[in-house]
Amino acid sequence: MRKLLLTALLAAGMIQAGRAQVTFPRNGVYDERPGLYAFTNATIIVDPQTTLENATLLIRNGRIEAVGKTVSLPSGAVVADLKGKRIYPALVDIESDYGMPAVQRAPNNFRAAPQYESARKGAYNWNQAIQSEADAGLLFKTNPAQSNELRRLGFGAVVTHHHDGIARGNSVFVTLADERENNVVIRNRVSAHYSFSKGSSGQAYPNSLMGSVALLRQTYFDADWYRKTIGKTEANLSLEAFNQLQNLPSVFEVSDKLGVLRADKIGDEFGIQYIIKGAGDEYQRIDEIKATGAALIVPLNFPQAYDVEDAWDADNVTLAELKHWEMAPANPSLLAKAGIPFALTSAGLKSRSEFWPNLRKTIDYGLTEQQALAALTTIPAKMLKIDNEVGSLKPGLLANFLITSDNLFSPENIILENWVRGAQYLYTDKNAPDLRGTYTLTIGDRSNLKLIIGGKPGKFDYQITADSARMTPKVSVNNDLISIQVQLDKQATGTTRLSGYREGNTFRGDGDLPDGKTVKWIATRTETAADPARPAADTARKAPVRYGKVIYPFVGMGNVEKPKAQTLLIRNATVWTNEKEGVLQNADVLVQNGKIAQVGRGLPAPAGARVLDGTGKHLTNGIIDEHSHIALFSINEGGQTSSAEVRMADVIDSDDINIYRQLAGGVTTSQLLHGSANSIGGQSAIVKLKWGASPQEMLLNGADGFIKFALGENVKQANWGDAVRIRFPQSRMGVEQVYYDHFTRAREYDNTWKAYNALNVKEKAKASPPRRDIELEALAEILNKKRFITCHSYVQSEINMLMKVADSLGFKVNTFTHILEGYKLADKMARHGAGGSSFADWWAYKMEVKDAIPYNAALMHKAGVTVSINSDDAEMARRLNQEAAKTVEYGGMTEEDAWKMVTLNPARLLHLDNRLGSIRAGKDADLVLWNNNPLSIYARPEKTIIDGAVYFDLQEEDRKRDQLQEERARLIQKMLSAKAGGAQTQKPVFRRQRMWHCEDVEGMMAEGEEKMEEKK
Amino acid sequence: MKKILISIAGLLGIALSVSAQNPAPSRPQARPIALSGATIHVGNGQVIPNGIIVFDKGVITAVGDANTPTNGAQVIEVAGKHIYPGLISPASTVGLQEVASVRATLDFQEVGYLNPNIRALIAYNTDSEIIPTIRNNGILLTQAMPQGGVISGSSSVMQTDGWNWEDAVLKADDGIWLNWPGYFSRDFDFENFGVTLKKNERRQDGINVLTATFGDAKAYSELKKPATANLRFEAMKGLFDGSRCLYIRADYGKDIIEAVKFAKQMGVRKPVIVGGDDAARVVDFLKENNIPVILNPLHRLPNRQDEEVDRPYRLPSILHKAGVKVALSYAEEWWRTRNLPFLAGTAAGFGGLDKEEALKMITSNTAGIMGIDKQVGTLEKGKHATLVVSKGDLLDMRTNVVEQAYIQGRTINLDDKHKRLYNIYREKYGQEQTGK
Repeated sequence: MRKLLLTALLAAGMIQAGRAQVTFPRNGVYDERPGLYAFTNATIIVDPQTTLENATLLIRNGRIEAVGKTVSLPSGAVVADLKGKRIYPALVDIESDYGMPAVQRAPNNFRAAPQYESARKGAYNWNQAIQSEADAGLLFKTNPAQSNELRRLGFGAVVTHHHDGIARGNSVFVTLADERENNVVIRNRVSAHYSFSKGSSGQAYPNSLMGSVALLRQTYFDADWYRKTIGKTEANLSLEAFNQLQNLPSVFEVSDKLGVLRADKIGDEFGIQYIIKGAGDEYQRIDEIKATGAALIVPLNFPQAYDVEDAWDADNVTLAELKHWEMAPANPSLLAKAGIPFALTSAGLKSRSEFWPNLRKTIDYGLTEQQALAALTTIPAKMLKIDNEVGSLKPGLLANFLITSDNLFSPENIILENWVRGAQYLYTDKNAPDLRGTYTLTIGDRSNLKLIIGGKPGKFDYQITADSARMTPKVSVNNDLISIQVQLDKQATGTTRLSGYREGNTFRGDGDLPDGKTVKWIATRTETAADPARPAADTARKAPVRYGKVIYPFVGMGNVEKPKAQTLLIRNATVWTNEKEGVLQNADVLVQNGKIAQVGRGLPAPAGARVLDGTGKHLTNGIIDEHSHIALFSINEGGQTSSAEVRMADVIDSDDINIYRQLAGGVTTSQLLHGSANSIGGQSAIVKLKWGASPQEMLLNGADGFIKFALGENVKQANWGDAVRIRFPQSRMGVEQVYYDHFTRAREYDNTWKAYNALNVKEKAKASPPRRDIELEALAEILNKKRFITCHSYVQSEINMLMKVADSLGFKVNTFTHILEGYKLADKMARHGAGGSSFADWWAYKMEVKDAIPYNAALMHKAGVTVSINSDDAEMARRLNQEAAKTVEYGGMTEEDAWKMVTLNPARLLHLDNRLGSIRAGKDADLVLWNNNPLSIYARPEKTIIDGAVYFDLQEEDRKRDQLQEERARLIQKMLSAKAGGAQTQKPVFRRQRMWHCEDVEGMMAEGEEKMEEKK
Repeated sequence: MKKILISIAGLLGIALSVSAQNPAPSRPQARPIALSGATIHVGNGQVIPNGIIVFDKGVITAVGDANTPTNGAQVIEVAGKHIYPGLISPASTVGLQEVASVRATLDFQEVGYLNPNIRALIAYNTDSEIIPTIRNNGILLTQAMPQGGVISGSSSVMQTDGWNWEDAVLKADDGIWLNWPGYFSRDFDFENFGVTLKKNERRQDGINVLTATFGDAKAYSELKKPATANLRFEAMKGLFDGSRCLYIRADYGKDIIEAVKFAKQMGVRKPVIVGGDDAARVVDFLKENNIPVILNPLHRLPNRQDEEVDRPYRLPSILHKAGVKVALSYAEEWWRTRNLPFLAGTAAGFGGLDKEEALKMITSNTAGIMGIDKQVGTLEKGKHATLVVSKGDLLDMRTNVVEQAYIQGRTINLDDKHKRLYNIYREKYGQEQTGK
């Protein structure tokens, strides 16, 4: 009742510290109070660096007036003696959704027609995921249930925003007071917010991660153009708002460690240093994250242990999951050690009750209390430039502070009061007496009883003993009133009920025995419980928890040390040079500085060289997979017919186990392609499969730019169900027009820019600059022969069409991939100059591959086409040597030519044959040592080398597998003891990794899983 | 002589290419044939260098070394070549589907959950364009298998040559297919398009239904004359007298154990595990219970992130070395079935398995599991003359060049759609014929 009344009073704004004037009329008599309070004799933690003993905090009108050891108390101050208590600045959470409307995610209705245009009415951005006009200040509504929960944890103010969309608009800085919003909002437009998630938008574009990146990049360009041309072009309130936000700190929310790098890259392009809200796995890529220079906001959402009691079920938990369970609590301390500035947030916790246990856990894992406090006060305040309002107890700041019974981080601590802008929120009465001790208890004529009160103030526990018997009574204490219910005799049933009151060390009153007889009772304290020895603040800390090592990448078979380039001499091997020398017997190859240094016989080993005996073995180039979809977070941006603007380089997943699996199959370089969901796909990423490297390090520097196009059933959505029939084109006729239309516009775009760039400074100042359009820019690059097409293709008619389109526009189609009917027009391809990258023997999985034949590669090759054999499949990629060998079977290729189909020829198609594809001095040392002729079914790689570093080594494999098993066993044992110790567990879930094919579309498949599994 | 034969075949191929149809089924063996001078891979581990094999009226009459009498048979010189038993592709939908994305061509799955009476051979399309292409890599027998539901139906062993299914069938209704209700069920996440396997909450319900069904079927099988005929139970009778296998799809260790124990308790005489991805976890159990395993295609990724990269490739070897009988399948993608011999090659290359042992996994082991080992699976006297002559090692892509094939002694026309298109365009470009 008291609470209810208090809340009611506060809500009415009646007993708040006086604001000078308000606009709101009030019903009733004014109740403005001075709001002058002094807290004396306290240990005051002014900020993480400054602790004052026996000090005084003076606040007036909701702000701090003075803090120090010698504060003179003005008259009229309400004085509270806080001897033995502490005062901390209240915590600040800058990653909050407090008071925001719920985000409704667009339902995934695969039977409904896709929504290609924005469903939002008004003068807003064309894309619903750009909600830069979302103004958290306008959306904000107080929510007493949420604010109370946060205040109980110790938070006094938050910066909150609507977590919806890719551009999310601005945040608002509010206190957690339960007052009218006018008194809660401190400042609107504190920060701008971004993410990769389109949130509630049901619009088809973007439906991929790289689409999200592209949309945001394009929006920056659009906004810049809008700023320069305002009034001359369309009205766009979203872009207007976007521009207004640019002088605020920008916060980017990501969902994993690689997202941190991805977001930062966007920031670099536009000269913005984002503050990045991470996912808590940053320790797995700490060097790269430090190098971004970004400050982070990290959660405390540590994974639960898995239930690994059943040995077979435990097989389904991955080493990565086990290790993350162990290491996640170390994330903050590892960030601190690396010198990365970070704030902590309560966001993302399954339950807010985990906040303090998890925070204490990070301290057990090595974070200092000082660092923890800073990450919850001064650092977040400074990040968003609200440190003139909150984060410490300096004079002038808001009177947002906590009164605690103890060190804030001690498990014993109780937050007694949370003061928000000078208003008291009382959680435990700080003056409540310590009732602990042993009392002799007499009930009527029974006097053999004792009442023992233990626990701690705020949370006492009670026992009653009768000689040696122990009972646990139900007790409630309310101020000085007490009520006890207890079953005193085990034999006799019935409850004795006592009511009474406290006087000093005595409780007394009367009560009813089970038989209804009324008796007097009294309990008198005879012993005071000694306070358990409390560790002093930071001193008596136990040693930090020990945990395993970070591995790169953070999955099974990752390495503690990343492989390094070595000087290698491979001796006496059969060397497939792919040069005019052909296959050399008993030859030596020397590798130095990541390059092939020498090829010959009887080469001397330089000092420090590692000599590998190649006797009886075959040495070849690493396999190059021209068509791969491994190591990617998403494949298709199918939200539009052209997505030339998207870049696969933005979505490289360097943790994909398929990288390692393919190394074990001799693959060293892969072209990671966009899928085939639309006529104009996205920009390829060419990577070397450097296991453990970051996405950026995997990218092959200096490679030409490529882009995926696609023809046929996929782009006309032939197999996507009846609902998906509205996107242009729906026939092969339309596909031609898509190309003419886009290239026509790209040419005009290019000309417009060329004309603009040719203007002198004066003319430029007068002219409106054209808008940068990253889609047309990529297409113009094709026209200008700076970007090259890899086109998914099956049927001859449309292959012919694309070559004609290209001829008429003056460029060449670089590569037709799949090209299963290439044999039907191999002569035309040779004349045009297009290469072909095909499957060895795939067919019959859909109508357009009905005429696919395994002789295709040989027929094209003999007609003068550069032919490679590719995988498009994570499984087949690890035995591309076998697939190449099929061209010997079908069509009678020579073995040397067959081998070139997975090495030199794809290198040619990728314009990398100056560096890759043959064994010649000066080329990259990307080599594979095989136990057999590499085209033999019995062949397997023994060593796979990239840039002179050994990434797969069959000799080491057993040892590595043993290590993996040992690490698993260690972690499983640890998990078992955690469970035995009462930790909550989750059931192991068997995640079967998505195997991407170019046909796999996010967000647009019509028929669910079975469709998903469909190939090519 | 050989040259003439080849050029005739060549002419034949070109002539047929005009019709763009599959070649006509072959005529019965008219006179005895002896293949002489090849390395004969018997299919039971034995290899006969420079051997002779004689067959008449579709049956092998003699197999042996160079001194084996040919008794007036037409002698075909195949020196330097290799002879293998016709390969057997179990758990296949060849003939039951043609173009994956065209529903009208798909006939391998029926509605309903308990369909033991559904018979795959009825849908087996002897005119499928896929069939000649798999024959060309040495596969002469396939097991037409129904899919879907819990009890999918009955499979039959088919020859890859025949005018119609009656003509092509080698063993009708050799077994019934059961999808075991597993510990995990697939859960598709539309948010990230990933598949997670979650605890299957309906597993026990499924097992209860199966227990009741098999119990009733067993009781029914003991009735002399049931008052009301039950087609389902009629179909299941063979499970209890050992005339039909029970092919149980199970991959996970616990499921394998549970499924086998179930089958034994129900009185099923010949249970076979199909799939068996995790069979290595329960290898002792399989051996002790004498349960053979038809493995999923080895050309797959490991199921788990932490599994050894070569686990699928080594699995046949692990099971074989522990004493479990293994057959290999190329189940899911019927049009890739022609790569079945290369699965055996991969198993040999990565698992340290003897090549002849690997060969058994696509010949005699498979025949033994299906109960057709009296007729096929090895090249032994009295068995069908169902065999192929290859230029070299049949398990290696480079040398898998099938030059002759015989099914029950019938000379198989090795033309197929792919060769026809190859020849049309080879000629268009004036290219020489090379390869097979």
